[in-house]
Amino acid sequence: MNIIVFLKQVADTEARIFIKSDQNSLEIENKYNMNFFDEFAVEEAIKIKEKSKDAQVTVCTYGPKRAIEALRTAIAMGADKAVLLNSDGLECDDSLTVSKVLAAFAKNEGLDLILCGRQAIDDESASIGGMVAEFLGVPHVSAILSLDVTDGKTARVESEVEGGKERVEVHLPALLTTQKGLNTPRVPLITGVMKAMKAVIPDVDPTILGLPREEIDPSAAGIRVLSYETPQQRPPVKILEGETPAEKVQGLIKALKEQAKVL
Amino acid sequence: MPNDIFVVVEYKDGGIRKVSLELLSKARQVTERLGSTLYAVVMGHAVTELAAVLRKFSNKVIVVDHEELENYRWDTFTSVLEKLAEKYKPFMVLGGSTVTGKDLFPRVAARLKGAIVSDAVGMELDGTSVRIKKPLYGGKIVSWVSCKENLTAMITFRPNSFAVENHNLTGELIEESVDPLRDPRITVTGIDKGGSKKVDIQEADFIICGGRGMKGPENFDILESIADLMGGRVGASRAVVDSKWRDYDDQVGKSGKTVSPKLYIGCGVSGALHHTMGMDTSKVIVAVNKDPNAPIFSYADYGIVDDLFTVLPILKKELEQAKEET
Repeated sequence: MNIIVFLKQVADTEARIFIKSDQNSLEIENKYNMNFFDEFAVEEAIKIKEKSKDAQVTVCTYGPKRAIEALRTAIAMGADKAVLLNSDGLECDDSLTVSKVLAAFAKNEGLDLILCGRQAIDDESASIGGMVAEFLGVPHVSAILSLDVTDGKTARVESEVEGGKERVEVHLPALLTTQKGLNTPRVPLITGVMKAMKAVIPDVDPTILGLPREEIDPSAAGIRVLSYETPQQRPPVKILEGETPAEKVQGLIKALKEQAKVL
Repeated sequence: MPNDIFVVVEYKDGGIRKVSLELLSKARQVTERLGSTLYAVVMGHAVTELAAVLRKFSNKVIVVDHEELENYRWDTFTSVLEKLAEKYKPFMVLGGSTVTGKDLFPRVAARLKGAIVSDAVGMELDGTSVRIKKPLYGGKIVSWVSCKENLTAMITFRPNSFAVENHNLTGELIEESVDPLRDPRITVTGIDKGGSKKVDIQEADFIICGGRGMKGPENFDILESIADLMGGRVGASRAVVDSKWRDYDDQVGKSGKTVSPKLYIGCGVSGALHHTMGMDTSKVIVAVNKDPNAPIFSYADYGIVDDLFTVLPILKKELEQAKEET
């Protein structure tokens, strides 16, 4: 079974981010990690491989050269193979473009199962899974909480739906997006880290995947950023003063009624 | 037609979800200025009665009523929405950034080769072009984006992004018959809806959130009773969910739900970044914590520095009284 995991390298939640003076680009402190939700996808793929023996796990990202570090993390965890689709000079923020590139990769690679996180924590878009599945013409299930593919032909999954959970059987090939709760991503062992350091990760120009260049050029993006701004800062917190807790609470209620007008 | 807008309506327990009414209210401002048509689109089974309310909020209500649409599935809903979009050619299709919206919109966007923006929080009209506001990096940055002109723009918005305004329109009801296409490769073998009548945490106007300072699951009862009193929901920090004091469904933050209620009260929540990323668009934030240096106070509008277990019963009593007065 051929398992592909799509992952994204994202700015660490603690990384400092500045808007450049043109208001149109960002400067991000050099602290990056594998996207939180993608870790569940990598872990699940490795678990399947450990159970079924004939499975191969390929991890892939479409992004700048630095994203190779996130692929190394996946190899350290136990992925067999990694591929960087280098986005240098190409569009890599727009969901429409990114999903076309990833779908083209999966088509070339051949697939039984694709796993990826339910969303990236930098843009919270949650678009790539469904869009890649649509471009490949395969079914998808969003935000899975459990997975069983023991027969290699069908995935039995439990997923989050509005107001509860749903159990679904889906024929492979299929794409599943992973959610917190699916598993506990492993911390790589030192042997894995050594292997990952030595691994040769191909740096591939995505234009060889058969997509016309004009479809992945920055001009192809469906979305254009007009400007960035820093969010409106809240005024400094007003700490309610009082001799007793009751006085503080009464002050709060008064403020919520009269100033904030939310009661 | 150019400049027409679709709002994909979600409903629950026979009522229209607030997020859909918010989107209709906001979209109405746009179509009014552009002189175009606002469509409320309802897909489901036995949903025609929802149209009565929707007519007040839109120029036209498109209802697709089919037994195959009884429960949401991306395959059937995508096929119907695709057909409607091809027929009516809206320039924007709006929906909630909900569990359903996040599943449906990407699929339809790819099918229409449209532009997609997810989890947006604002929309403005500049002349005849629309700007969409979307937070990035957990709210550290706000971006304004536009969609390419000749593409259908598929946009999902966070619940509680806009106010609901009653427009007293009398929209025309259009019953479309479209046969939903089911993907035979997927079989639903069980649905477990828990039967919760509580408001969805993303749509709640009031959230009282417990952190590690709550000390144990048994202490959440008072939060529950305050949430019930205010018609809201109890939220939880990651530490609380990881300790299994509360369900994952309650988790607010980067790895849980993104919420923006009118009033958020954090109780014993330290305010780690992964938590504040999920709540900092709330209108008013109150923090109760005995540690005056807790980071949550840099995100809050109001703070009480005191013992939680002394404050909470008083808070409950005072809120009860405030409720009675209004």
